[in-house]
Amino acid sequence: MTELFVVITVIVVALIFDFTNGFHDSANAMAGPIATGALRPRVAVILAAVLNLVGACLSTAVAKTISGGFFDDALITAPIILAGLLGAIIWNLVTWLVGLPSSSSHALFGGLIGAVIVGAGLSSVHGWVIVSKVLLPAIVAPLVAGIAAAWCTRLAYRITRKTPSVHSNTGFKYGQAFTASMVALAHGTSDGQKTMGVITLVLIAANLQPSGTGPQLWVIITAGVAIGLGTYSGGWRIMRTMGKGIVEIETPQGAASGAATSATILASAHVGFGLSTTHVSTGSILGSGVGRDGAEVRWSVARRMMFAWLLTLPGAGLVGGLAALLSDRGVGGVVTLIVMLAVACSVIYLFSRRHQINHKNVTDSHEVLVLASATPTAYADDPRLEAPAKPKKVKRPKAKSAA
Amino acid sequence: MRIDWAALGVVTVVSIMASVVFTILLAAGIRLVSAAKIKSNEGGSGTATVSLGYALLGIAGLLVLFGLYLIVPQFH
Repeated sequence: MTELFVVITVIVVALIFDFTNGFHDSANAMAGPIATGALRPRVAVILAAVLNLVGACLSTAVAKTISGGFFDDALITAPIILAGLLGAIIWNLVTWLVGLPSSSSHALFGGLIGAVIVGAGLSSVHGWVIVSKVLLPAIVAPLVAGIAAAWCTRLAYRITRKTPSVHSNTGFKYGQAFTASMVALAHGTSDGQKTMGVITLVLIAANLQPSGTGPQLWVIITAGVAIGLGTYSGGWRIMRTMGKGIVEIETPQGAASGAATSATILASAHVGFGLSTTHVSTGSILGSGVGRDGAEVRWSVARRMMFAWLLTLPGAGLVGGLAALLSDRGVGGVVTLIVMLAVACSVIYLFSRRHQINHKNVTDSHEVLVLASATPTAYADDPRLEAPAKPKKVKRPKAKSAA
Repeated sequence: MRIDWAALGVVTVVSIMASVVFTILLAAGIRLVSAAKIKSNEGGSGTATVSLGYALLGIAGLLVLFGLYLIVPQFH
């Protein structure tokens, strides 16, 4: 009975993680097209959501290992998975609140590693795998994609220097829409599969499914729908940072960074040096800023992002580790965890309401505000801090009366 | 430390080459099609330019299809 309860909880939490994965990574594909106006925000997220769903359904090979080589597969149990998922969800939500893109897979690995450390000790984690699979790719991905995007941007501007921008913008927007769609589809095949793998693994471990079999149809469909819904909800805070915060993107830049993102993601997926979609697409956008003369790259934003990437593993690990203290204490522990997750989600959601970002205002500004008091004092007399709050107060009652 | 430096190198080279080639095709195609449009607006004939431009855009489209082929596991 207890086991069944834990299994059901893990499945629900895995689907919640899948949802956060979707809205966290929506921006990877669609921040560029939305920022340049190649796709309208609503159209972009619907397109990305459908492609994510399709991608998730296309790829039904069970994820071979969710441990990623960080630790022994035998250490993976339902309570460890539950704790790991909780760590990943909390990390995804916190980084979303502050509008920072970070890798959902790293968050999941971090959560699992933290849970394993609590369960089996520090020595059970393979340190070198962390270096080769997390630290190195986090440096390589933005470099490779950034160099590619910088060259592409330079070339795109040079080649179309004498072309009237009416013509070139239309063409580049089409290019951007196609490359963004590819990124969304590739994301569905890789990340949708992750959650299916987790759920299938738990079902097999609980003897509810024969071992060696693939994900069942309902698992494929619910996981696909969860990631699709997450993508549709947009993750507008991260969208703003990527589309506006790092650099102002012009159409040729958008096309160049789209090309660099999809080429790098496909190359890394098929040659076997795994790079995070998030790191690649952020690197491309950064590179496209470096490649255009006169573009102002906000290195402070880039620096904050880099810190967030480095903190993803330990951050999610910390939450995962703490959750692991409770997750194997039977029904009581699991219920406590779920209550705490619900409280954490609500608190983060309420904080996000204070400076809401949605499909209407996503491209209006480049800043993602959480609390006025939490921003650096240098910004204290910045008029922009007050500006976004005012129209919202007027808008809210209007929206209510319309509904 | 077991880091697959060769795979890393291949990913780097392939990523940069592929994106540069795609961008050149796209940008050159756009430039030629636009030049042809301007020419025909001025009364000239831009047939050769426009067909070359669309050919380049077509190759860029083929690259997108190849990417699609790589993404969809059922194709290989």
